[in-house]
Amino acid sequence: MRADPPLLEARDISVAFGSFRAVDGASLTIGKGEIIGLIGPNGAGKSTFFNCLAGDRQPASGSIRLRGHDVTRASPEDHARLGLARSWQVPAVFDDMSVRDNVVVGAFLRHKRASDAAAVADRVIAFTGLAPIAQSRSGSLGTPARKRLEIARALATEPEILLLDEALAGLTPTEVRAAIELVRRIHAQGITLVIVEHVMEVILSLADRAVVFNQGRVIAEGKPRDVVQDPGVIEAYLGRSLSRKARA
Amino acid sequence: MILGQVVLNGFLVGAVYALFSSGLTLIWGMMNVVNFAHGDFVMIAMYVAFVVFTALHLGPAVFVPLAAVLLFLLGVLVYFSLVRHVMRGPMLAQILGTFGLALVLRYATLWVFSANFVSLPDNLLGPVVTVAGLRLEPSRVVAGLAALTLTIGLHLLLTRTALGSRLLAVAEDRNAAMLVGIRPDPMQALAWGIGAACTGVAGALIALFFYISPTVGESLALIAFVVVCLGGFGSVPGALVAGLLIGVIESLSAFWIGPANKDVVVFILFLAVLWFRPQGLLGKA
Amino acid sequence: MSASITAPARSAGRLVFAAFVLLALLVWPLLVENVFYQRVGALVMLAALSASAWNLVGGYAGQISIGHVLFFGCGAYASLLGFTWFEWPPIMGAPFGIALSLLLAVLVGLPTLRLKGHYFSMATIALAELARIIVVNSPSLGGGVGISGPAIPRSMADLSFISPLPYYYIFGAVLAVLLLFTWWMGRARMGFYLRAIRGQERAARSLGVPAQRYKLYALLVSAGFTSLAGSLYAAMVGFVDPDSGLGILLSVKMVIVSALGGAGTLFGPLVGAAILVPLEEFTNAAFGGDGTGITYVVYGAIIMLISRYAPGGLAEILARLKAWGARHAR
Ligand SMILES: Nc1ncnc2c1ncn2[C@@H]1O[C@H](COP(=O)(O)OP(=O)(O)O)[C@@H](O)[C@H]1O
Ligand SMILES: [Mg+2]
Repeated sequence: MRADPPLLEARDISVAFGSFRAVDGASLTIGKGEIIGLIGPNGAGKSTFFNCLAGDRQPASGSIRLRGHDVTRASPEDHARLGLARSWQVPAVFDDMSVRDNVVVGAFLRHKRASDAAAVADRVIAFTGLAPIAQSRSGSLGTPARKRLEIARALATEPEILLLDEALAGLTPTEVRAAIELVRRIHAQGITLVIVEHVMEVILSLADRAVVFNQGRVIAEGKPRDVVQDPGVIEAYLGRSLSRKARA
Repeated sequence: MILGQVVLNGFLVGAVYALFSSGLTLIWGMMNVVNFAHGDFVMIAMYVAFVVFTALHLGPAVFVPLAAVLLFLLGVLVYFSLVRHVMRGPMLAQILGTFGLALVLRYATLWVFSANFVSLPDNLLGPVVTVAGLRLEPSRVVAGLAALTLTIGLHLLLTRTALGSRLLAVAEDRNAAMLVGIRPDPMQALAWGIGAACTGVAGALIALFFYISPTVGESLALIAFVVVCLGGFGSVPGALVAGLLIGVIESLSAFWIGPANKDVVVFILFLAVLWFRPQGLLGKA
Repeated sequence: MSASITAPARSAGRLVFAAFVLLALLVWPLLVENVFYQRVGALVMLAALSASAWNLVGGYAGQISIGHVLFFGCGAYASLLGFTWFEWPPIMGAPFGIALSLLLAVLVGLPTLRLKGHYFSMATIALAELARIIVVNSPSLGGGVGISGPAIPRSMADLSFISPLPYYYIFGAVLAVLLLFTWWMGRARMGFYLRAIRGQERAARSLGVPAQRYKLYALLVSAGFTSLAGSLYAAMVGFVDPDSGLGILLSVKMVIVSALGGAGTLFGPLVGAAILVPLEEFTNAAFGGDGTGITYVVYGAIIMLISRYAPGGLAEILARLKAWGARHAR
């Protein structure tokens, strides 16, 4: 069963901001075809961990292997070339460009000719349901459309693994349902997914495995159903929300 | 002994550099905006001193505070009418906004006062005194010590007063400051006012012994950039140390390799800092 | 619905319009007898050329250089030094100016393009000022006085003409080549990558855009064309000194000409030049020496207004007007 190396393997990752350890020895192994749900209270270090996985931030210690290559110190460009794509918690679309041009940028990674890149982009735009707004300036879009555009742009790089950082946050229930369906279709294309999400139903309905972050560490890991009943996990969430209430 | 004289003079000029650079670093650290008109603010203050002295025959006791007040108002005005609007815009707008302001100030002054160099009389504050072989020019000594005191005062204002902590709270995290009830807008306007007032005082002081011309702001702005980058942006103590250092280095290079080349040394130092330690010599890696 | 019907018609209309503008640009100097106007025309082309070169880095890639005069000066000085030292026709120095500019672009670009926004602008200002001060203090480079080209033209190769018309066409031809390149680039991977870098460099890199490399490419092309503009300028004027070849105001002019017309648009710099250069020449003619001061006060005011109200320049204003018109036509 375990003949292939894991698709992505992060070991003992640590990141410090000054004396504060945002990620503190976190490890995660991702096999091909999985959907992993990464959960944890705000400030747990999930986004920072994502940034390390994507090469956007170099960890102070630890190692990361992507498809067998050591990418601990590799640039984000190298990660993209090796088949890793990501979205940003705070959407980072290219405001001055149209939705379609945003997606074309992604498609240029594997297609040098403009016509080929455009063809890929149009396919992805149709797949993600962005066709009606393809010509809009992306700076004029609302948050839900931006989040969807980020997914489209990432898909256009034809990745093997896609990291989604709160791509469903701030959506209405209808939009969430549509987004869940989109994630399922992406997975059906053979793409491995890691999703950070706060809404438990999303994790329960999508993820094969849930990984819980707290204070920069992985405090629980397993089947989503078991994890949400883990006393440590409940404590991590409750502890935070109680202390927040006390402060207010 | 000559070397001692050179270092002393450099130190005194450096204190003035430190003062106006503190204004730049305050603004920069607080809202991540570079005031490309900073040197021209200093230039305006120099002309305030010049006009007050030649037209009204009043000395530094009047023109230094007056320049401070006028420049404070200019800073606040610039914040509300320009900076507030461009600081969230594209990079081009952020840079061009204050750059355009620099051109307007510089060339309006040129238009009014012509390109000629002017200066205040050397002995405005009395004759040169020689102490232990060092020539002490009162204008330089007064300017240097006043600037030094005010830079330290600014640091204390920022670190020891309630107002200072409100300013720093906005600098640290605009949104968090809003959550605890500090409105960022007045604080940022105040930072522009204080930053510009620093140039007001520094300009009026440096006018005591420096040539005055409409384009003098160009090289002063570059000095402020060097000082701020060297000291780490946002740090007043950093600007103080870096300002004194630049003053001394400039003075020594003028002495050793000629006044014409002193700017070359400063620029090369600047580029070296940008390339090798963009976080500043004193900043954290 | 209506878009699909009008789209081909509109692009045909655009083609006719472009052809008309091109024809007008080619023919008008021949119809105008007045040498002053012809000269202004040549200067418009020159300003459009250098601003279009700046536009690749400052407009498309969003890296605001305020030291582009460094490359312009390389070209101008290379041309006239070639003459001073070896009696070459000025234009023979152009390749050397370009080579030096490319070298400087790499030396300057590798470290500074890493720097974020403001730092890059400050570094470029400092570099250009450094070059200017070095030239001022180097008697072998003409010092503060400057150097001249051939006093009387020795052959056609000196490109020394009494009429401004040949310069108009020479500048125009180089501009046309640059605009063709820019047009091509805008549709190719490079254009998309540069605009992505301008928008969100981190996000662009996560999509596999090698940001450093593409910014450097843009800087190289830009430096080469700016240098060539400098060489041609030196051939036309036959004189260069630190202010006219390396002054910070020339850098500023490249920025403002682009920004007024629309930074990051194909024709923005040409439009900006067609407005600003005549404005400058007429104020200079009207106010004499005082004109320079007034011109730059006006320049400064224009860039403040642009950055405050329309960072996209006239191109943005035009787009807004169109949108407004479309809304009200309904
Ligand atoms: N650039 C940064 N500088 C300093 N602290 C940071 C930075 N980025 C994140 N942090 C801090 O690190 C912690 C983890 O943040 P993050 O990874 O965004 O958490 P999450 O995504 O789980 O909500 C937070 O306390 C946050 O304030
Ligand atoms: Mg997060």
